Amino acid sequence: MLQVRNLHVSIEGQKILRGIDLDVQPGTVHAVMGPNGSGKSTLASVLAGRDGYEIEEGSVTFEGQDLLDMDPEIRAREGVFLAFQYPVEVPGVTTMYFMREAINAVRKHRGQAELSAGEFLKLAREKINPLGMEADMLKRAINEGFSGGEKKRSEIFQMAMLEPKLAVLDETDSGLDIDALKIVADGVNSLRSADRSFVVITHYQRLLNYIVPDYVHVLSDGRIELSGDKNLALELESRGYGWINDEVVPQAAAGV
Amino acid sequence: MPAIADRTDVYLERFNDALARSADEPTWLQERRKRAMERFLQLGVPSLKHEEYKYTDLSALADGQLLFGTRAGGAETALPSYAAGGASDRATGAGPQVLGHVPQGARVQSLAEALLSEPDLVQRYLATIADYEDHALCAVNTAFFSHAVVITAERGAVLDEPIQLVFGDGLRDSLPRVLIVAGRNSSVQVVETYAGSGAYWRNAVTEIYAEENARVDHYRAQVESLDAYHTGRLQASQERDSYVSSFSISFGAAVARNDIGTRLNGSGCECSLDGLYAVRGDQLVDHHTGIDHAMPHCNSHQLYKGVLDDRAKGVFNGKIFVRPDAQKTDAVQSNKNLLLSDDSEVNTKPQLEIDANDVRCTHGATIGQLDSEAAFYLQSRGIGADRARNLLTYAFAADALERIKLAPLKEHFESLLLNRFASQES
Repeated sequence: MLQVRNLHVSIEGQKILRGIDLDVQPGTVHAVMGPNGSGKSTLASVLAGRDGYEIEEGSVTFEGQDLLDMDPEIRAREGVFLAFQYPVEVPGVTTMYFMREAINAVRKHRGQAELSAGEFLKLAREKINPLGMEADMLKRAINEGFSGGEKKRSEIFQMAMLEPKLAVLDETDSGLDIDALKIVADGVNSLRSADRSFVVITHYQRLLNYIVPDYVHVLSDGRIELSGDKNLALELESRGYGWINDEVVPQAAAGV
Repeated sequence: MPAIADRTDVYLERFNDALARSADEPTWLQERRKRAMERFLQLGVPSLKHEEYKYTDLSALADGQLLFGTRAGGAETALPSYAAGGASDRATGAGPQVLGHVPQGARVQSLAEALLSEPDLVQRYLATIADYEDHALCAVNTAFFSHAVVITAERGAVLDEPIQLVFGDGLRDSLPRVLIVAGRNSSVQVVETYAGSGAYWRNAVTEIYAEENARVDHYRAQVESLDAYHTGRLQASQERDSYVSSFSISFGAAVARNDIGTRLNGSGCECSLDGLYAVRGDQLVDHHTGIDHAMPHCNSHQLYKGVLDDRAKGVFNGKIFVRPDAQKTDAVQSNKNLLLSDDSEVNTKPQLEIDANDVRCTHGATIGQLDSEAAFYLQSRGIGADRARNLLTYAFAADALERIKLAPLKEHFESLLLNRFASQES
């Protein structure tokens, strides 16, 4: 589904990603972990098409197409979703209006009929209730005055509405208490399916108790230094990120 | 500012014709017209050297051709009806079309009718509220207007439905003149719409007199031809405990200049002067407001928002006078602008003159650009770049639009704004 090959990315001349390789098969959940500044959020931003990143080398293909060549809205319509680390407040536009525009843009792109106001509302209610949010939230301006937890749940709601093929969750767990974390994880788990994949970017192992990944990758200084299964996350939790730089990187450099 | 004398020849010629045509008008009105003409000849069409017009080039109006010349015919453009009930049974002679049912307690009359039915009232207020001594464009209107609409609400009359005046193509609508007199405890809503085609100059004057505890909600929706000049003056005079709101929508015209003011003559008055302008190409839109706080315990609010694209220019100048007697004045002024292009520009200037010491006056002006992170957020959900831009533009204007209490009017301009800056739909 997603192939990242030797991806080198810089921001304003500063190298952030130094050769990322990542293969995501349909139906799998990949966790990308790593210390602050390792390039996790850059990877998420580049996949979603945020401005300001220089692709110096490498490629990203999504279902056989060049993802980097697509505008952000085309990526979304093709089925890529980014749950923002810091969801943006947009005063003056209600979540309802926003999501209806979004879902119909996506449906149109996929050759599906647009949803009427009634159909949209029915779907929105279905998707919002399991997240512990009231349908009233739809009438509020996008993320305006939302608590941190509400913003993250709103991201999951949007994901549930748009039904992406590939969802990238950028530190969706950061700042959540355990109850909110469970709600978010349940939201993600309920969307897991044989043809939908997730890239879960997180700083903490805690989330992975609830969203159990098929693969765990450790990003350090712009490279994936180590990949493994869910047990790698547990090891990181007990040993911290320090040993990656102390042991794994020198070994790799020595060709061990 | 001295006018170039020979360029006003056309005005002078036309004035003699106009006087001859209005020979049956009462003497007092003819005297006011003559005085206005005298003042206009002294003042001339304001040039860029005039402090109040330094960004707004009206030199094309100096010779009067755009006002008096023959109009190139074009497709009739019009704004929809915002009033219930369609065309009114009230005719106003050859004046503008009147839409909306005129309810019990109100009158919508032509000047000729009003001079017969309410001569004292007309004499008291017509051309006494909007100042033609110091304002050349108001002087032109006063000297030359051929038709006027007089809207009166009886004491205690509450008009639930708006009255809409439609100023369209045609010479008869070049010099709109409206007088609104709201009697004690009455409430009236008036919408003036301006639309046309081709090149012309429309120069409108509306006077509002709000008696004690009266309420007047006034809207002007201007979508003139993009080759037109639109100048308009709205001047209100308020007695104690009265409320006047003005909402100025300015989307059209090559050059639009709106002067909007009110004088708060009694304590406990409130006014809300608001506006929304959205311009592009080489359009220029200029709002000058003036609120005269003459008495204590009055509140004034102003919110003007502007969206400018391409090479469009915006001007805002907001004057607030707080006279020595006007203690406990609460005046709030805000002008916010969104620039969608590198070449658009705004000149905004608050001008506060405060001669009382126990008052609260605040003002703020902002000029900003679209939030690129918000645009990316919308795009990342599948919304096209153009659509995202329009949604954010709409969002920027939303709080100003909220001040339009008239739902059909609000909805119409909401939808115009949502589609205004799209080069292509996604």
